[in-house]
Parts: sequence; structure tokens; C-alpha cells
Amino acid sequence: MKIKTLEEILKKKSSKTEFAILTNLENGDSEIYLPGTSPKGEFSKYAVEIENFFKSKKNGVIENSEIFVETYIKPIKVIIVGAVHIAQYLVDFAKSLNFEISIIDPRGYFASEQRFPDIKVINKWPKEAFEEIETNSSTALIALTHDPKIDDPALQYALKNKFYYIGALGSKKTHENRCQRLAEAGFTNDEINSIHGPIGIKLGGKSAPEIALSIIAQLVSETYKK
Amino acid sequence: MKNSFDEKILDEAKDWIKANQKVVLATVIQTWGSSPRQVGSRMIVNEKGDFSGSVSGGCVESAVVSECLSLIKDNKPCKKIEFKVSNESAWEVGLACGGEIAVYIEQIH
Repeated sequence: MKIKTLEEILKKKSSKTEFAILTNLENGDSEIYLPGTSPKGEFSKYAVEIENFFKSKKNGVIENSEIFVETYIKPIKVIIVGAVHIAQYLVDFAKSLNFEISIIDPRGYFASEQRFPDIKVINKWPKEAFEEIETNSSTALIALTHDPKIDDPALQYALKNKFYYIGALGSKKTHENRCQRLAEAGFTNDEINSIHGPIGIKLGGKSAPEIALSIIAQLVSETYKK
Repeated sequence: MKNSFDEKILDEAKDWIKANQKVVLATVIQTWGSSPRQVGSRMIVNEKGDFSGSVSGGCVESAVVSECLSLIKDNKPCKKIEFKVSNESAWEVGLACGGEIAVYIEQIH
């Protein structure tokens, strides 16, 4: 691989562009491929196979060839509501797991850049904050404030936009009340039951990093189920 | 659904190159049976034999490092190495999982 190619790969990765690295295993040539374009030179005759690797989000050697395809897809977007202590540990785990985190918190004293360096922190109420974030059914929501004023509008937004994972922090009682409010707001039982509440898998721990671990474990597990 | 896992090995490769080190990139390109690391897993090796990342669960890393050092010494661009259970060298380095992997090594130049 040429240093120039490596630099281009790193640039594409940091701008969250989807691409693939094509390598000719016989002579070591490598190229960057953008989905939807025509592969260059010696790779051009494998256009269909390369695009298929992309669609299936897989890496591998094209059958009966010496061409290796490695695809880079956009990281999954995770929106955290509540720039609280647990969120700081979630950010740490998300870094090694390559989730792309955005944090929403209208309370300025929580949502400071100093508490969350290198993370997109939106210091607005959920309704306005969601106007700044592109979301789809591959987005996850983790609601951590257990304050209905802040969590509820975010949960409603996530349910309406069919996020693949929605979790909300709070005790069983807090969650029962939350479900009641969502029912009154017109959400169906199926929708309400799709919320993971109380959030996280059962680990038993009560400290902020332990709760963050239980949440991130549930998020990873749910990601593979979808 | 699948997330895009990124172990930052390529970022580290860039840092090593900046520090004037010769870097060989090793990538798992094929696996058969039960193998510990998935296709696309990476490791980098410099001319001193320092390495970062992984291509197995510690089973074949030492063999990959020596292959990478030979690549630098012989000034070759790339090489494909297969570790199979039936392969004697795999037994030596201990591919205990019973799987088979193909690793592609290439100099970054």
C-alpha cells in the first residue's frame, strides 16, 4: 500500500465517508473505491462483485480472483439525552466500539465541552436538537436524565422515527409512569414495550461505569439482533 | 445490523511512518472453520519487530512478525501466508483453535 493511499483512507474515515479498499493480492496494488462509482483499472471487471460486498457490508476475497475487498461503512449513531456522569463512561466505551455519539442536554452546566471533549454536545431541548441531527432506523437513543421534561420528547421522537434501540434510565416505578405518559400521548403498547426500561442488562453494579457497561452491552447485543 | 468496527491500526501505522519507521501491514483476508479474528482484522509490524493489533488470538502473531521482517529485509512488496492445521509451521506456532486463516502482508511505502 502506498503512503498516499493510507492518508486518503484516514481522511475518508475521519469524514465518515463510506468507501472500500480494493487490493490486488498478486501485485500489491490498492485503490480506494466509492460506492456507486466504477472501479478503476484492473479492478473494473469486478464492479458487480465489489458492489455486492458493499451491500452485504462484508470483507473478503472475490471468488476466483486475487482481489481483496474491505468495506468501510458509517458508524452507528447513538444519541444520548443527558450529559450526566454515566454519559462520560458511555463515551469512553463508544470510542473503542466505534459508535458515533451525540449528546443532547438543555442544561448548560451539564453540557459543557470541558466535560465532553471531541463529542458533539447540543445544548438545546430535544425538539430543537433533533433538527441538527440526521437520524434513521439505524439510530439508537439512550435517555439518561429520568426527567420527563427532557426524556419524554426525545423518546417520542425516537419511537416516531423507529430507532432500532431505545433505552431509558430509571427505576421500575419511574418506567411505569413513563409508559403511562406515552400511552396517554397515543403510543401503542408494542411501541412502548420496545423501549428498554429500566435500561441495560442485569449486571448488578450501581456505579456510573458499571451502569454504562450494562447499557453498552445491551446496545451491542440489540445491534446484532437487528 | 453491523457496526463498523475500527481498531485504529491504520491511524497507528501513519504515526509509525511519521516517526520514520518501516511499516508492514498484515490483514486477515480469509478464514475457514473457527478462527479467532474476522476478515479485515489488522496488525502492523515495524523493522524492529514491534507490533500492534492482531490477526489471531495470539496463535500466529509471532510467525507473522518474522514474515514481515523478512519482507522488509528482502524488500518485497507483499506476500500471502496461509496458516492451516495441516501446515507444520502452524502446529509449531500453535493454531490451537483448529481454524485456518490467510494473512496478507504488505509494505507501506
